[in-house]
Amino acid sequence: MASVSLRKLDKSYGALRIVKDIDLEIADGEFVVLVGPSGCGKSTTLRMVAGLESITGGEVRIGDRVVNSLPPRERDIAMVFQDYALYPHKTVRENLGFSLKVRGVGASESEARIAAAANMLGIAHLLDRRPGQLSGGQRQRVAMGRAIVRRPQVFLFDEPLSNLDAKLRGQVRTEIKKLHQALGTTIIYVTHDQVEAMTLADRIVILRGGNIEQVGTPDEVYNKPASIFVGGFVGSPAMNFARAKTAGGNLVFANGDHLALSALDAGGVSAAEGREFIVGIRPEHFVPASSSAADLSGQVQVVEPLGSDTLVHFALGDATLTARMPPQMRPRAGERLTIGLDPSKIHLFDAATERAIH
Amino acid sequence: MTTTSILKATDAQEQRPAAWTRWLDLGDRPLALLLLAPATVLLALIIVYPVCRLAYTSFFNLSLTSGMPAEFVGLDNYRLMFDDPVFWETTWNTVLITLITVPGALVVGLALALMANLPFRTQWPVRLSLLIPWALPLSFAGLIFAWFFHSEYGIVNDVLIRLGFEGIIWFNSPGWAFAAICLTIIWKTSSFMALIILAGLQTIPRSLYEAADVDGAGRLRQFFEITLPLLKPSIVVALIFRTITALQTFDIPYMMTGGGPGTSTSTLAMYIHQNTVSFLDLGYGSALAVVMFALSMCVTTVYLRMIRTKE
Repeated sequence: MASVSLRKLDKSYGALRIVKDIDLEIADGEFVVLVGPSGCGKSTTLRMVAGLESITGGEVRIGDRVVNSLPPRERDIAMVFQDYALYPHKTVRENLGFSLKVRGVGASESEARIAAAANMLGIAHLLDRRPGQLSGGQRQRVAMGRAIVRRPQVFLFDEPLSNLDAKLRGQVRTEIKKLHQALGTTIIYVTHDQVEAMTLADRIVILRGGNIEQVGTPDEVYNKPASIFVGGFVGSPAMNFARAKTAGGNLVFANGDHLALSALDAGGVSAAEGREFIVGIRPEHFVPASSSAADLSGQVQVVEPLGSDTLVHFALGDATLTARMPPQMRPRAGERLTIGLDPSKIHLFDAATERAIH
Repeated sequence: MTTTSILKATDAQEQRPAAWTRWLDLGDRPLALLLLAPATVLLALIIVYPVCRLAYTSFFNLSLTSGMPAEFVGLDNYRLMFDDPVFWETTWNTVLITLITVPGALVVGLALALMANLPFRTQWPVRLSLLIPWALPLSFAGLIFAWFFHSEYGIVNDVLIRLGFEGIIWFNSPGWAFAAICLTIIWKTSSFMALIILAGLQTIPRSLYEAADVDGAGRLRQFFEITLPLLKPSIVVALIFRTITALQTFDIPYMMTGGGPGTSTSTLAMYIHQNTVSFLDLGYGSALAVVMFALSMCVTTVYLRMIRTKE
């Protein structure tokens, strides 16, 4: 096991800069998830750690070695690919054992490691089949098994669940987490799915346009998003945003509803008159109206009953907000809705920089 | 949609089938046979009938130069063939050409395909240079190489002399003439092999090589453990086509040596051509052709069986 550190890591293809001066320290045994929309540089970063992509600038360290110029096979890493990259003409056993064979591990040792990995992943009965005879989930497990038998310093996962259906994805996600708990190996995991990131990670790295937007535990990125981008990316349904201005010690929304600035957690914000904010409210942080000052009202547009709760979409000025309500609350479309806010759960972002104000 | 309107729509659909479509409701099997019929008839006319007719003719003494009517002679033509040293020599030449040029073209073609698959910035010159030898007519290639190997004006001897060797009179010795023919055939056919193998190469996902990189396999190991096994289907297909055409080798030796010196570079196809077209001995020529057909069928069967066991 080893720590991984990226220092001023940079990647360009010609004039196109994909990864921009990324600094990241990953502790020994940590599960770090790189997440972001497509084109944010997360896969490229992972592939630079793997050695599958050359490094334009900066350095990658695994343990105490700078690995910039080492080929993948000398980095002591194992990788699970998005398309699994199983050798189609080899049996599962040969797929699992290939790296051991290449590295000259003895037959009995190799057989023992293959059996251990196969038992751990529940694929022992598939060892003599070829990848073509396996289901998607089984192939995914074989790909993980191939990484496990190596006993590498670091596991790299490149969107390993994106080819699975939703139900299987949840199941395998749990297995990956168990695997990490059992092995304790450092894991760098790339995904575009924020739910995967939240459920798996010790720490989440949110990337956007080749830059790190925020690094933090799942709690931190959920409760203290550093920017509108992070706020909108983490959480489902997504955070609501509405413009508001300060006036007379209040935050005033476009429709005239207002909140007392003093009630907010971010009470210390400079409240110069007319300063413009973007207010972020998570759907789950609306509360039934309490005739307090922190009430909003708007016209209900769509109601989505989910069983466990109800999603209510309503208009506030020109913004549409979504509230997650208890299941018994069933307002009708077109109705006027008054809904309460928990002022301590409100996020304020600067309208110009889009960064959070704490 | 209300219930009534759904019913109406169904009614309309049920009434619609016109008389002309009703005869198509034959059931799957008759319909399949019907659709296969045109191709079957065509194949029967241009392949099955000529082959049967060929076999039939081979039992007759039918020589247009003798002025005699065709006479049924049973297996006489075949008996004659077994005692004919030229038949054995040309058959052996054909087999030898196949044994040399098919593996030769496979190795050269594989190398060309691997080169063409390198990440060139502009792909088309590479692809074009692969296509040109393939697109060239066989007899044309034969003519060009006859000049290349010309003892006085040929570029091959020119290079040999410049390198300090003696020039070779290629077409005077059976061995050198045979070598020149084989080299020409390999040049001409390796691009076809390369094209088929290149298509196979491009279906191998890049991630397999990346996985092998991470697993620790070097380039050579990747070639033998990944590239070659995954190319097997393409290679078998290329081999089938190439072997069948190699057994029918005609144009290149015909243009380069005319089968000489003597009959030392003559192939079975050339001997068939000589008997039927030059000597107008259709009976004997047909018997020879039947043997060549049988030879091709045997090889094809072996290859097809190889593919089937693979599956």
